[in-house]
This record gives sequence, structure tokens and C-alpha cells, in this order.
Amino acid sequence: MSLQPIPNPEIKSKEIAEQQKSKSLGIEALLRLLKSKTSIIGLIIITILIVTAILAPFIATHDPTTQSIPDRYQAPSGEHWLGTDELGRDIFSRIVYGTQISIRIGLIAVGISMIVGVILGAVAGYFGRWVDQIIMRVIDIMMAFPSILLAIALVAVLGPSLTNAMIAVGIVGVPQFARIVRSAVLSVKETEYVEAARAIGGKHGRILFRHVLPNSMAPIIVQTTLGIGTAILDAAGLSFLGLGAQPPTPEWGAMLSDGRAALQNAPWVVAFPGLAIFLFVLGFNLFGDGLRDALDPKLKE
Amino acid sequence: MKKRYLFMLLAVVAMIISACSGDTGSTSDGKEDEGGKKTLVFGRGADSIQLDPSKVTDGESIYVTNQIYDTLVRYEEENTEVKAALATDWEVSDDGLVWTFQLRDDVKFHDGTDFAADDVVFNFERWTTSAEFVYYGYMFGASEEDMGGIIEEVEATGDHEITITLSEPNAPFLQTLAMPPFGMASPEAVEEHGDDYFKNPVGTGPFVFEEWVPDDSITVTKNDDYFGEVAKVDEVIFRVIPDNGARFMELQAGTIDLMTGLNPQDIGTAEGDDALQIIRRPSMNVAYMAMNMDKEGPLADKRVRQAINMAVNKEELIELYEGIGKEAKNPIPPSLWGYNDDVEPYAYDVEKAKALLAEAGYADGFDITLNTFSNPRDYMPQPKITAQAITEMLKAVNINVEIVESDWDTHLTLTENGEHDMAFLGWTGDNGDPDNFMYVLLDKDNATVGSAGNIAFYKSDELHDLLKAAQVEMDQDKRTELYLKAQEIIHEDAPWLPIAHTTPPLAASSSIVDYVPHPTGSEPFNLLDMKE
Repeated sequence: MSLQPIPNPEIKSKEIAEQQKSKSLGIEALLRLLKSKTSIIGLIIITILIVTAILAPFIATHDPTTQSIPDRYQAPSGEHWLGTDELGRDIFSRIVYGTQISIRIGLIAVGISMIVGVILGAVAGYFGRWVDQIIMRVIDIMMAFPSILLAIALVAVLGPSLTNAMIAVGIVGVPQFARIVRSAVLSVKETEYVEAARAIGGKHGRILFRHVLPNSMAPIIVQTTLGIGTAILDAAGLSFLGLGAQPPTPEWGAMLSDGRAALQNAPWVVAFPGLAIFLFVLGFNLFGDGLRDALDPKLKE
Repeated sequence: MKKRYLFMLLAVVAMIISACSGDTGSTSDGKEDEGGKKTLVFGRGADSIQLDPSKVTDGESIYVTNQIYDTLVRYEEENTEVKAALATDWEVSDDGLVWTFQLRDDVKFHDGTDFAADDVVFNFERWTTSAEFVYYGYMFGASEEDMGGIIEEVEATGDHEITITLSEPNAPFLQTLAMPPFGMASPEAVEEHGDDYFKNPVGTGPFVFEEWVPDDSITVTKNDDYFGEVAKVDEVIFRVIPDNGARFMELQAGTIDLMTGLNPQDIGTAEGDDALQIIRRPSMNVAYMAMNMDKEGPLADKRVRQAINMAVNKEELIELYEGIGKEAKNPIPPSLWGYNDDVEPYAYDVEKAKALLAEAGYADGFDITLNTFSNPRDYMPQPKITAQAITEMLKAVNINVEIVESDWDTHLTLTENGEHDMAFLGWTGDNGDPDNFMYVLLDKDNATVGSAGNIAFYKSDELHDLLKAAQVEMDQDKRTELYLKAQEIIHEDAPWLPIAHTTPPLAASSSIVDYVPHPTGSEPFNLLDMKE
């Protein structure tokens, strides 16, 4: 508790106490995050990827789509750091540009999942009763499908393209968010400050967005970070099946798919895009795991 | 959730590493089951569409029906000369119109019924009942108005003798009758199964149909009562393994014995492996990109089609065939008589192509789609990569290509319906006659929406007259003249971008002996054997 004297009436002092407590919680969480080696590794990987994406035109040594058929399937060398692919394109440059695409897929797809999922989950949890029943049963139905299968079905309806793949992966991620947010809202809405807000006549919208949601942020942040990893994996899967990024886009999943004919003779064509996907997912998962531990109030020292 | 993905990733990485490590320890186990049963497992990229050969044109269906059915005459083992099969003897009248066939009297269908002249009549009549019997239409010029085409009458002139009367002479007639689509089906089975006959085929061939698990496998077993050479293997299983690399790994692991659609990159690996062998199928095919002239827009203009021909660097494109293909300039392969070697292919010239496009009013280029298929074919081992390469080449003349990839079945349907702008396709000759390429693939008779063999929808009366004249002409030298001229017209009108002729490699376990691949793309497996 605070060492400061409490000069004012009860309610005021309680509010200050709440604020200070949450502040110290945030700092504590940050400290815990920085103490965890795995989440630091995750953070480093993510930083490298973001820098690569931003500086792609300066990092790439070649144009990512220019083909040179006579130079196809060259092993890694000084000229082509990671070798060349089936059409003689520079794999290093394609992976570098692919980072931009992957980050975009991750952000947009998870953005869709988050916005839709948070709204649905919050509404379901806050209003309860039949609203909750209807929304959560729909979510249950969506969860009954394996995520990649649902994504394939959606793309089959929308038509294969990178944008549609992002939408499909985004929709597939909605149920996770909805469930997490709903359970957070269920517990937060019973707290005293929400009751107080209701008692002084706060409108539903205001209570939900000013009081309930901000206090349910921790699980949303964790799910967003972890969701990016899953989203990029699903999107790469769709592209591998020819349902996502269309050639000649240097998307990693598509690169895996196109290069697999030479798996036995030119393994670098698939190995490096595979490694890139692996690193990307690993980075976000490590960081997400660290965040979850850091934000878990039960782990408070 | 997350853990599972992590595991999957690790598994993939492990797989890649093990694939890199070179030692692929292949095993060949001779394929003998407990009862000493010899099973040949044949791996391929796509499933059959129907097992009723009279209704299909695709090689995957014919691979299997070639085992189940016999035709009146069959091809020699190595070429397209014909030899006796269900018919032992035949003669033709001097005017080339009346053909008389003597049939074998010791043949039974797989359902136990006897084969006789009436059954041949039944089959011929069946083929004229609907446009679904596409090959009959392609080969005998049948159409909605005239379902019989050039065949006027098929008559049983004895228990084991039939007489076929034509309305005009047809030079490739006998060769055509040896084509798998004209296999003799059991009338009883056709009537019993009706619309489901294609799933329950009954013929007289060296193998009996056993089971079909769609998109997985088709099993046929040896016909012990076969009138010809009884098969040496007891069972053949046709397995569908869509990915070339995965199929090759199965071959290395010994779970399949023979495969088509080898990645050209893997030929060296197979040759260096004592447990494997490469068998090359003689070349009689063509791969092409058809440009749909039926659609309003740039492709209707000859200059645009010629410009596309000039904008594609075929010398580079052919490198994607990794040594199994030769550049094409004509619709027929050079191994066929009548090939016009004097046709000068459109030289790769981006500037000239741009000029032609500008002349046609497309200086700024245009957007267009290119339909391709997901599974490799003998004539095109890497369709998607080939499509990407062409896309990039056409970018240089401001043509912006969008690639649309479909599975094989869908691709055939949509191209037959003319829904495409540009589309990849290929053809493996059926009877060793130029007619089988040019008439089927480029004549206006076969540019019918819904069952098009001519998917460029190229309708040239000049060409039609030449091709018809070549059909009724019985003298091969004169026919050659006509086909040489036809190729010049086709070259000038450029309905296609001819891409390649290939010598498709098959990879097999070294236990397989006496296997002779036929130039027509498939063959009955009764002659091959598997040694210990």
C-alpha cells in the first residue's frame, strides 16, 4: 500500500489506491517480461523481422520477382546468399520482401479477429442471457471446424487471393478472441467499480468501453501476440495450397509450394522459406508466452 | 494449439533435413504377398475421371481402361502399326468405304457373356446416342445433327463377322479403331448399370476391374481367361499421389513400383540408385497454350496472338523441362509423318512483339488470365512454374497475366466450355496419325462449346477444307502435302503458343522387366513382369 497520507474522503482515496496499484502492476509485469530470457529472444526476433520489413528495399540484393531461368536452382553463393529458386529468382531477396507480406498478413488477419472477436465477446459477456446464448452458440459452431479447414472453405467461396486469405484467417481467429474476452468480461462486470458506474447511471456503452474492456486488456494482448503466429502459419498453409498469395508474390508458403519439386536436389529452395516461417512463428509465440506469464496476476511476487 | 503447430514445424524441419542428407536407403521388396501374389502398384498424379473410355479423353482414365478393354485391333507394342485383337482379320473394299472384320469366337466378357458380332454393333450404336461419347465425335466427325458421322452403318454379317460402311473414305480408320476409347464394353453390363456404368466397367481385356476408391486407388486383377497373353502380375493398383516429389519418395521407399510424372530434377537421382530405373516413353505429344479466339478482346486479333508467340522466350522456357522436352513450333510432334520442318518459328523478339501489339491497338498492353492445372502432365511436368515464367515474359510487353490454377477435372471442364482466356493443355497422340492432332485440336468441327477439343476455338474454313481432304485421301504422300500446308496456316493464324514435345520419363523399381511404354501414352500391363 501507499506510504502517502490519505487526505481526502474514503471514495477518493480508494480510487487513488486503485490507480497506484494498477501502475505498479504494469511496471511489475514489464520487469517480469524483461527477466524472462525466452521472451527477450522473442522480442529480438520480432524486432529483426520488423526492421527487415521496413528496410526491405535496402536489404534485398536483387529484385524479388525478376526471373532468370538459366540461373535456376543455384546453390547459396556470394552472388545469391540463399541460392536461387525454380525460376532463378534470388531467394534471399524474396524472403526479405516476404517479411513485409507476412507481417501484413499477421497484423490484418489478427486485427480482423480481434475487432470482431472483442466486440462479440464483450457484448455476449456483458449482456448475458439470450444475447450471450446466440453469440456463443455461433462461436461454438465455428470452433467445431478445424481452423485450416474453415479457412479453406472460406477462401473457396471468396476466391483465392492474398486479401481473401487474410480475411479467411481473420474470421477463423474470431472464436478464440470472443471466448477469451467473454470470460474476462464476465468476471470484470461483477467488480465493485462496475457496479458503482452502473449505480451512478452510466450507459451500457460507456460502462463497457470505459470500465469493463480496459480492465480485460491483458488476455486480449496475449491472444493478439500469439494469434499473429497462428495467423501467419494458416496463411502460409493456404498459400501452399495455392489458395493464398498468387504468383509471383514472394509469400513464404507459396515459395515452399513452388520449390518442393526440387526438394531432393535443391533443398535450399524450400529450407529457407520454411526456416523464415519457423522463426516468425517462434518469435511471436515466445514473446506471447512471456507476456502471458508477465500479465498473470497470480504470479505476482 | 500452439504446441501442436510447433511440433508440426519441427516435423517439417526434420523432414527437410532428412531429405537433404542424401542417403535415401530405398528398399525394393519384390512385392510378393503371402500367397506369392504379384502386385504392381502404379503411382500417378490424378485419378481417372470415368472408367468408360468412350466418354473420356484424358490419359488418366485411359491408363486404366486400357487394361480392362480390348479394341477390334490393337497397336504393336512399340509403335502405332495395328495388329489383330478382337478382330483376327479384316479387308476393305477398293473404294475404301466398306470394311469387313472377322472376329474371334473364343472371347468372353468379364461378366461371363460371350463376345459376338452383335456386341460390336451394340457398342457402335451406343456411341452415336449422345454427344457424351466425345472421341467418337472427334474421330468420325459426328455432331448433334449427324450423330453417326462418317460411319453409315455397322452390321453383323455373321455370328463373328461385322461390316462397317463409311460415307466417305477415311485414311486413319483402322488406326483409329485401335484407340482405347473404342474398347468393346459388355452390353449386359451397360444395360444393368446404366448411368453408373463408368464405375463398373466390364470389358474383355487382360485385367478385370475390381475396385475404385475415388481419388485414392483403382484395383484391377488378372484375367486368367484372356485370349491374348495372360498377365504376369496378379494385380495392378493405380494409386493417386498428387505430388511428384512425394510419389518419387514412395518409389524410393518401395511402396510403389512404377510411376509417371517424375520431376525432371529427380531423373539423376533415380539413375544413380541401383534399386531404380528410368524408362523413357517415346515422344508423341505436344504441350501448348491455347488462346481463346471466341472471346471478344485482344486474343481475337491475330497480331496479338503472334505478338504473344514472339514475346515468349521458348529457349529459356524449355529449360524448365530439364532436358526431357524439345521446343515446339507445330501442333504435331516431329516424330510423326507429315511434320513441317520448314515452318519458321516466331523468333523471340520483344520489340517486334510490342510493335505488333501497338499496331493492334494494345500499346499499353492488357490484363488477361491464364488457366493452368495443378497436377503435372507428361507433356508439362511443371505447369505452375511454366505459367509463372510466361507471366513474367509477357510482362515485358505490358501484358498483365493472372494465373488461375484448377485441379485437372475442373480445368478440362472449363476449357471445354471455353471459359478461359488463355489455357495450358497438351495432347498425346492416340493413333499415330496427324489427323488425330490437327483435326481433333484445331478443326472448327471440334470447337463446340461443352465438348471442345479445339480449346482455342479456332475456326478456319481454309484449314477445315484441307483437313477434311486429308481424311478422305488414302494416299499418304498426298496426305503429307495437305498436312504440310495445314501447318503453315496454323502457324500464320497462331491459335496456340506451341510449347514443347516431351520424352516423358517413367521411374520404376528395377524389379520391373519387359515394360515397353507405348508412344500413345498408355499400354496394357499384361506383358510386363516383376522379378524377385
